[in-house]
Amino acid sequence: MNLAAALLPVPVLLPLGVAAALLVVSHWLPSPVSTVLAIATALAVAVICAFLAHAALQGPVLQWFGGWTPASSHRPGVVLGISFLADPISAAIAAFVGVLFAAALTFAWGYSQEHSHFEILMLLFLAAMAGFCLTHDLFNLFVWFELMSVAAFALTAYPLGKSSLEGAFNFTIINGLGSFMMLAGVGFLYARTGTLDFTQMGRAVTGIGSDAVLSAGFCLVAAALLTKAAIVPFHMWLSDAHAVAPSPVSVIFSGAMVSVALFALGKIAVQVFVHDDAVMTVARSLFVWLGAATALIGGAMAWAQRHLKRLLAFSTIAHLGIMLVGAAAVAPPAMAGFVLYLFGHGLVKASLFMVAGILLALRASGDEIVLYGKGRDLWPAGIAMSIAGLLLGGLPVGLLHTAADRLEASKPFVSAVIILATALTGAAVLRAAARIFATVSGAPGPEITAPTEREREKDDRPLWLMLLPCFALLVLAFVPGSLVLPFVERAIPALLDPFGHAAAVPAPEERAIESYAPIVLTVCLFALASVRQRATRPLSRTIFKAETLAFRGLQFLHSGLVGDYVVWMIVGLAALALALGAA
Amino acid sequence: MHLLPWLTAAWLFAVGVYGIITSRHYIHLIGCLTVCQSATYLLLLSIGYSWNAGPPIFYDHPPGTAAVDPVMQALVLTDIVVGAAVTALLLVIALQVHKRRGTLDPQALRPLRPDQ
Amino acid sequence: MTIPWRCGLFALSLIVLAPAVWHVIVALPAFGNPTEQYGAAVNLLLPGARHVTNMVAAVNFDVRGFDTLGEECMLVCAVTGTVVLLRGTRGENMSEGAGRLPGRAIVGRSDATVLVCRAAATLTLLFGVYMALHGMLTPGGGFQGGAIAGSSLMLLYLGEGYEAWRRIVRGRMLGALEGGGAFLFVAAAAVPLLLGHSSLENILPYGAPKDLFSGGLTVIVNFAVGLSVAGSFGLLLLEFMEETRSAASDSMPGEED
Repeated sequence: MNLAAALLPVPVLLPLGVAAALLVVSHWLPSPVSTVLAIATALAVAVICAFLAHAALQGPVLQWFGGWTPASSHRPGVVLGISFLADPISAAIAAFVGVLFAAALTFAWGYSQEHSHFEILMLLFLAAMAGFCLTHDLFNLFVWFELMSVAAFALTAYPLGKSSLEGAFNFTIINGLGSFMMLAGVGFLYARTGTLDFTQMGRAVTGIGSDAVLSAGFCLVAAALLTKAAIVPFHMWLSDAHAVAPSPVSVIFSGAMVSVALFALGKIAVQVFVHDDAVMTVARSLFVWLGAATALIGGAMAWAQRHLKRLLAFSTIAHLGIMLVGAAAVAPPAMAGFVLYLFGHGLVKASLFMVAGILLALRASGDEIVLYGKGRDLWPAGIAMSIAGLLLGGLPVGLLHTAADRLEASKPFVSAVIILATALTGAAVLRAAARIFATVSGAPGPEITAPTEREREKDDRPLWLMLLPCFALLVLAFVPGSLVLPFVERAIPALLDPFGHAAAVPAPEERAIESYAPIVLTVCLFALASVRQRATRPLSRTIFKAETLAFRGLQFLHSGLVGDYVVWMIVGLAALALALGAA
Repeated sequence: MHLLPWLTAAWLFAVGVYGIITSRHYIHLIGCLTVCQSATYLLLLSIGYSWNAGPPIFYDHPPGTAAVDPVMQALVLTDIVVGAAVTALLLVIALQVHKRRGTLDPQALRPLRPDQ
Repeated sequence: MTIPWRCGLFALSLIVLAPAVWHVIVALPAFGNPTEQYGAAVNLLLPGARHVTNMVAAVNFDVRGFDTLGEECMLVCAVTGTVVLLRGTRGENMSEGAGRLPGRAIVGRSDATVLVCRAAATLTLLFGVYMALHGMLTPGGGFQGGAIAGSSLMLLYLGEGYEAWRRIVRGRMLGALEGGGAFLFVAAAAVPLLLGHSSLENILPYGAPKDLFSGGLTVIVNFAVGLSVAGSFGLLLLEFMEETRSAASDSMPGEED
């Protein structure tokens, strides 16, 4: 077995082993040692996965667990074992996850109270995400999905504040329902195709074509993954969970967890269902509309928030909607854009959550109105936040911009929605940054009635240690897309067909006019927010009333009650079923 | 008649979700989630079932006797462990919420409140 | 949204979903006549290939052993999360007094209870160990045996009382048991890798069928899972029991109310 294949399970086994060992010796180990060990493990995972990504450019890296290769079943077409398959993009995403974890653990230095339980939970989370990216078996995917979820539930409730606990409860119920749906979907797919391996399943689906049971399986699996990826109407748990989770954990949630779920959905769709017409039709049509709706709702809600982490959570939802629009095109150039967007958005959002964490630790609040002017001497964080806000809003440099260019939407309406959502989220971040760090602010708009909370985080590490990972991630986000794009474009065919020999994606022609619309709109919205006056004249009062009504309606829908969220999940399931039935 | 297992699984899931939607107590809600989970157990085990086949244990019978699908049974075992894990976490969260808020009514509990 | 509105929306969704569900149910392979070959292949191949007689355990620990590793770590993760969430404000040491509700009398333990519990706890523990060890042969295995062994701790508490019970059952030991079991499983997956085979490959001699130690590496994996599950359930029980004690002071960090 060559080195790459032998290294394939290590990104999962290493964090699991270190976590188990920490559980045994944690009583006798001083706290900094376990943090250093965890950071080293995360970096090791990143390095190994980067090596795997490089090796996978020559051909897929494959290992069958337990030695149960397809030949060992002595039956054609029956595969007994579980395999890990690294194609370049999956391995690269796993490496990216490792980097994010290393940054988050550095940021969380000293966060663990005693017995390194925080590091243990984070390492288990890391192992699950690495396994989630690298696996080639549907039930194995479900197992890592569950481990990811359980670690996330525990980490969300970690601060033990009232809001953290209730947010974690909502998170657990919604994602728990999602995982039961996924399990039912796996059952249906097994019943029809007789296998759990992606390649075998793809072959079986090609033979069967469209079928009610296959559609049901896809519907349920997609509902679960869309729940994890926070797409409308499954998205409501995210604003609660990310807002109340500790900042280092929110870094991982928004930076990687949600986008990886969307990536997995795309992988399943292209590797298993590519020849199932009903599923592909729905993927190309309904998902585009869902993505556009998510982007719009996320952007509008982000604009109307005052609690920083809740604002960032809604902007994550908006950007995931944009990513779904891109991925739903299921065309190679759009998929390259999706992968780049995953990296770019993850880096920028992670650094923004770190800034929010800095403010929570050093200024004891996460509310932009309460924090007005209090960030003056934390000006490096202010610079980071402004740069990140500009990048989110479409600044024409770096990974995010190249990605957005590639995510071309076929309908102009959808393009307009994407531009609006990008601008809303970028301007919301800039508005918050201006208020906190520069005391530049207009009268408060719809955000004044948004939910908020008085909270703080532990402040036992120096500012430079918290800023270091933040700036490191931002610098990575500035990597020009043209450096990363060739790798991604070479790797897309391997994602679409791991064992095939498709040609590389041809580079699209250079655009004459690069898309400056988002950044221009961002700056306009930010300017509008900064010069906003109190509504005194009748016309402005009417506009103000209409705006308040609209946003209040949106806030009412995102009520924080778990029963509402579950109802919307079932509505979404019904919509998926309707679309699949009509296709 | 042969559709009964599937119908029962669908019914269990629907009843569980109805319970969650109308619940007025966290512990009742957790119980309803368990009901939803039982629906998946039933579905998976029914998929693997085979008429006139015994359990896939060949201690007393020679290998080769008709047996049901062991893969589905292994999946259900994993599902049960998942359920135990999630239920334990939920109960702990409910305990801590009760200590802090004094109530366990989902209608009254929401993270982050609007600043009046 | 109020509950009636929710029910209305739910009913509407069910109306849409009902025909879809019916359509799918009718299209499924007939109940009792499965078409999948995966399970049939396992039933035919595994007894000869690995000399085990419990096919479910063979699937769990050998063919799909990696799934079980993830599942085991999920249990560890959940119990660690539970421990963190329950211990977080309370601290780890044993609390002084029993929690007391005003107006409720404290009834002493009768001799019959102590006797029956001592006998039952011992028998249950033995049964759990038996269940776990014979996992490869008869219905059972690490998960089931570990859960039974964990529940014998509850019987022990009923018979001995809290202070005596805590002297026997220590949180650190259970935590080490839990972590040690998980680590052993990871090691069982890593050692074949280091020796040049695939991960979790069964490199040990398989033994004779129906023998206690048949199945090669699966015996070790089974044992590791049994240890870890017993430790996990014990730890869970211990933390929940601590909740019934009177709290010293329940300060909550990060709250400014």
